[in-house]
Amino acid sequence: MKLYVYCLAEGIDALHEPVQGVFGAPVRLLKTEDLSLLVSDLTADAVPVTRENALSHAAVVRSILDRTTPLPFRFGTLVTEQQLRNYVSARKPALDAKLALVRGCIEMSVKIIREISQIVQSGLVESDQDNKQGTGAAFLAEKRRELLGGELMEAEASRISAWLQEIVADSIRAEQINLRPTERLVLAAAHLVERDKIRQYREKIAEARKDRPKLHFLFSGPWPPYSFANIELEFKTQFRVS
Amino acid sequence: MSSPFEQVIVTSEVERWEDSDLSLLETLDHVLNRGLVIAGEITISVADIDLIFVGLNVLVSSVETAHETLRKRQSE
Repeated sequence: MKLYVYCLAEGIDALHEPVQGVFGAPVRLLKTEDLSLLVSDLTADAVPVTRENALSHAAVVRSILDRTTPLPFRFGTLVTEQQLRNYVSARKPALDAKLALVRGCIEMSVKIIREISQIVQSGLVESDQDNKQGTGAAFLAEKRRELLGGELMEAEASRISAWLQEIVADSIRAEQINLRPTERLVLAAAHLVERDKIRQYREKIAEARKDRPKLHFLFSGPWPPYSFANIELEFKTQFRVS
Repeated sequence: MSSPFEQVIVTSEVERWEDSDLSLLETLDHVLNRGLVIAGEITISVADIDLIFVGLNVLVSSVETAHETLRKRQSE
């Protein structure tokens, strides 16, 4: 028997209503040190990434968000009770620091997409001379365009990140910025926002969208502070494909 | 007026996304990519790959990884 772990929280002595987690398993509180963990007892040795399981994980973490700000665990955390107690005990100062950071806050997410063609075409247009070159020269010219295109996109992402940071600076406690996390994303930002500043933050983001109509925004929240929870730099995710 | 604490997803689309797709995509991005990790203790299965539909891998790096894993397995 193992424990599937959803989140860790302070100030939670009981669940107000029955909650179902992954595989439909009941969720219970496990107390250790002065903290509470939301867990399910599972006999499985892996947790499939299904729509239902992912949404169940998110729903369990979210179920206490109106009462406290938990530190979510990553999907798929399956450990023995002793491993979990040892983890909390060994990392208590770091976990307390994380809880202090997120206390009274929620996470908001902003992703900005820009078409690659917009960026490359704005700075690199194939010249007539390129068209007249032989195969080898044309290949090198294409490689040069690819390299310069990458540099242009890096510079573009940095400029947009600085612009966004300036706009939301007064509304956030902390941020995590990931520049160009995937080919089409300019940036993915997570903002830690105090609960009484959510409305102000949303107004700032609305202003930002009006200010840059050519950028495509994906804005979502509030979320539990998934992006501000991790205290470990090293982790290992195992994919089991069967 | 809606509560400021109500969860919302807003997009100015590059592509047409259904709200439910965006909600799932954002949820996956948060629960699969982020959060506390007990080193070496994340074990997930991607056997039930049906939730990863066309377009998701545009934004979710972990799903891209899952796709790659599946492709490798299929080519073996």
